[in-house]
Order: sequence, then structure tokens, then C-alpha cells
Amino acid sequence: MSNEAQRRADRLRELPFERATASFNGSFGSFVRSIREIAGQRELLGLLVRRELKARYKDSSLGFLWSLIRPLTMLVIYYVAIGQFLGAARGVPDFAIFVFAGLTIWGLYSEIVTGGTTSIIGNAGLIKKVSLPREIFPLAATGSALFNFIVQFIVLIVATIVLGQAPLSWNLLYVPASIAIVLIWGVALGLLLSAVNVYLRDVQYLVEVAMLILFWASPIVYAWSFVVDAAARSGITWLTDLYLANPVTIAVLGFQKGMWVAGSSESVIDGQTIPPQPWPADLDLRIAVMLGIGIVFAIICQRVFQKLQGNFAQEI
Amino acid sequence: MNTAMRPDIQNPPVVIRTSDVSKRFILRKDKALKERIVNFGRSQKHRSDFWALRDVAFEITAGTSVGLVGANGSGKSTMLKIIGGIIQTDTGFVERRGRVAALLELGAGFHPDLTGRENVYLNGSILGLSQKQTAEYFDSIVEFSEIGEFIDTQVKFYSSGMYVRLAFAIAVHVDPDILLVDEVLAVGDEPFQAKCMNKIREFQRDGRTIVFVSHSAPQIEDLCDRVVVLSHGRIVYDGETEGGIAALRRTFKG
Repeated sequence: MSNEAQRRADRLRELPFERATASFNGSFGSFVRSIREIAGQRELLGLLVRRELKARYKDSSLGFLWSLIRPLTMLVIYYVAIGQFLGAARGVPDFAIFVFAGLTIWGLYSEIVTGGTTSIIGNAGLIKKVSLPREIFPLAATGSALFNFIVQFIVLIVATIVLGQAPLSWNLLYVPASIAIVLIWGVALGLLLSAVNVYLRDVQYLVEVAMLILFWASPIVYAWSFVVDAAARSGITWLTDLYLANPVTIAVLGFQKGMWVAGSSESVIDGQTIPPQPWPADLDLRIAVMLGIGIVFAIICQRVFQKLQGNFAQEI
Repeated sequence: MNTAMRPDIQNPPVVIRTSDVSKRFILRKDKALKERIVNFGRSQKHRSDFWALRDVAFEITAGTSVGLVGANGSGKSTMLKIIGGIIQTDTGFVERRGRVAALLELGAGFHPDLTGRENVYLNGSILGLSQKQTAEYFDSIVEFSEIGEFIDTQVKFYSSGMYVRLAFAIAVHVDPDILLVDEVLAVGDEPFQAKCMNKIREFQRDGRTIVFVSHSAPQIEDLCDRVVVLSHGRIVYDGETEGGIAALRRTFKG
């Protein structure tokens, strides 16, 4: 018995001391250390994502089908109200695919940001009692958003194939790039807002309102061509530049360009010939720039999160 | 004194080292944006601060069981959280070596909608076990908890006793070098409490280091071989148990 105790003591004597909490400093080294710590908790991250998904629909008989029913309902509403009643579908071929593509990528972004924002408060019990790299909570929210996205994405792909519009072209390369933009910006904002929300609870309500506005600030239920026309009519050309300064708008456009083949070719609706949809000039460059800025922004947000997380346990 | 049951460790190394730890709490009375704006400029009035800990310094060597005691608000739980890495210090630092497990609240991280089984894996992972290790210990965890067939029931249907029994069973399977315990030993019925105490004694025989926060003087007397008494955030006594209990009684009188 006491041999075991002695062995333990001898082993401990060889170990280096470690600080109980890493004090914050802005260096890149501490950023790398945070990333390594998070990577060390991959398993827990996976379990937390599963917990979130399982717990959400645990006692409902339709289960996770509900995560599909919502976007499909939205699709029907927008298809009927905006496409048919307001006539947007007259200028947009395959309006249903167009809208569902936009809803799918937007849903990913909005779920990451709103879910991320409340993730720290929502896990107050763990934050207060267990020492963990706290970034895993916004990341777990991202994981569950990603799962819902993948389900929707599969539905979208199946729908395009069934409708004979399978997105088989080089434009498909825009899809992973767009998802990457959404993930990077979503995670960055999720980290930042979850930390700020601990100190200022208004943030979660503000985010809800902001998401409502931002939904309409990207070409999801109306086409980019409408924006171009409106800007041309008003004569204010910088409006389109402002519109395209939104990383999610770029991601939505890229995703649509990849998934919505009808947008890139000439089509006929009700006997009228519609030219291919206009795409913003330099979309490739814009995607690259948004990815670059996004990575820098994400690093900054992680640093801010690290700075703020020191007092989470007592502020919650 | 019960040092007789302690293993003899030659030349035990220091495993926890705290250096002039101070912690200040700031209490803000306005959390919402509206109140912040309304009170802008007068914010000093709406915040007050106090020192939960002042210049706390001690070292703990491997294999000792230390009781961290004090009246309510003396800073003992805060100190335990700082050792556990949950709260940051304002000045000073805490260093430690070896695997740390903190039993600050049993079942922190249990999700009521998940089954006992699912929660064992989740909680094991939170406490630092890999999935594989949890799978290895799983039967032993269930046996220790005496949950039996209810392991596949959602934990929201558990009685509070079953809940903490399962949580305690997971926690003692983590194999820590340093165990931090905050008032969680009085769980379950009497037989289970005895089982918990046996487990703690076994931990002590294995040469694990244990830091207890407790209000119960008999428990401290029973389990600890050293007592640190805190009062208003400062150490007022640090030494053997008997003197510690007396010092604790003195702090109650003010």
C-alpha cells in the first residue's frame, strides 16, 4: 500500500509545476496554447455537441425531424409569399432551390451566432464548478449548428438532383469556401458575444434583433440582381459596395453560385427569356479577402474571450 | 489524531504552492444596459468591492489531507476554486503538479434530459477521463453508485440521493493526484456515506493529496492531518488539526 503512495510521490516529484490558471497575456504563444488546450478536449467537445442535439429533441416523437420542419416551413412561406405573391420568382429561375440554398447557409450562420452567444450563460453550472477551456461551449454550439446544417444541406442536394438541377460544375468549389467563411466569422462572433454576454445580458437580445435585420441584408429571399437594379435606379453606386462588405452576404452569394445552377445560365419563365443572374465582380477575390479578414478577426475574438473569461466564474 | 493510517512517504514533494494569493470581488448592482446608461458617470456608487483573499500563501506536500476552514465568507471556497483553476487570482499565483480533480459540486454538468449512462460518459469527460477509460470503469461506477437498472433512465427522474451517488461514483474513479472537495461528502444515506468515507481513506492510503473545505469540525478532525483557518480572507492559523479546530472556534467569536 505505502509503496503505491511512495511511487506516486516519486512520480509527482519529477513533474514540473503548472499554474492553476494561465494569466492572460496578448502574445501569440498564449493563443497557440489555448488552441492546443481546446484540441486536447476534442472528445468532450464531441460529447457536448451530442448532448445538445440529444437533449433538444429527447422527449418529442418526431425528434430531430423538427430541425428540418422549421426551414422547410420557411421555404414554403417565402416561396409562396415572396416568390408568387410579390412576384420575385418571375425574375429568378428555380426560385425554390435559390431560397432553400440561401436559407441553409444563413441558418448555419445565425444558429452559430445566437447559440454561441448564450452558450456560456447556458452552461453556468459547469463554468462555475469545473476548470475547462471555456471556448468549448461556443464551439459545441457551433457543432450542433453544423449538424443541423449538414442535414439541411443533404436535403438541398437531394432536391437539386430530383429537380434535375444537380450542381455539377466548377462553381461547386464556391460551396466549401462559403461554408468556411460562415464558420470562421460565426465562431469568431460566437466567442466574442458569448463572453460579452456574461457581463452585459442585453447582448443576447440585441443579437436576436440584429439577426432579424441581417437576414434581409443578404440576398436570401430576393436575388442579388434586385439589389443591382435598385442601386442603379437610385444612382448610388457605393450602395452595392456597402452591401457586399458583409461577409455573410459574400458567403450566401458564393453558396448560391455553387448550388443554384439555374442562376448561371439563361432560362425561360412564363415565355420570357431571363439572362443569367449577375454575380458581383471579383467574387473569388472577395471570398479570399473575407476568409483572410475572418481569420484575423477570429484570433482577435479569441484573445478578447481569453481576457474576459478570467472572471466568468464570479460574474455569471 | 489519525496519522497512524497514513502511508509513510519519504521526502514528500510539494504538490500545491500558493504565493501571496489575493482576490478582489467587485459587486456591480446594474447588469442591464438601461441601468448602466442611466447610472453612467455615477457608476462608483453602483459598485462595491471587497477582498475575498489577502496574501494567502501555503505549500502542501504530497499525501497530506488539508482542511481549509473558516466562518461563512472567510474565502475558503474561493481559495479552493483558485486552486482548482476556476477563478483567476488578482495578485499572486497558484502552482500545482499532478492530476487535479475538483469535487466542488456533485453532478455539475449532468444534463437532466440525458440518461444516467450518457451522463456518466459526459461527466467523466468533463472530469478528464477519456471515453475509453470511462468505458473501462463503467461497471465499477455503476456498482459503486448502487444505481443498478436505473442507469438507463433520464437523470431528471432520479431522487436527489441517486443523483449525487452517481456523481460521486464518477468522481472517485477519476484517479486524481490532488482531490479538491467542497462540502460534498455528506451525500446519500448512512451506508453510502460510510462508503464515501472509506473511499476517501483509501485515497489517503494511496498517497493522494486532498484539500477539504468543510464546516463540520468532527469531519475535519477525523480526516485531516493539517488545518488552514481563514478569516476575512487571511490565514489566521496553519498547523495541526487540534489547534486548527480551536482556532476556528475563536474566529466564530470574532
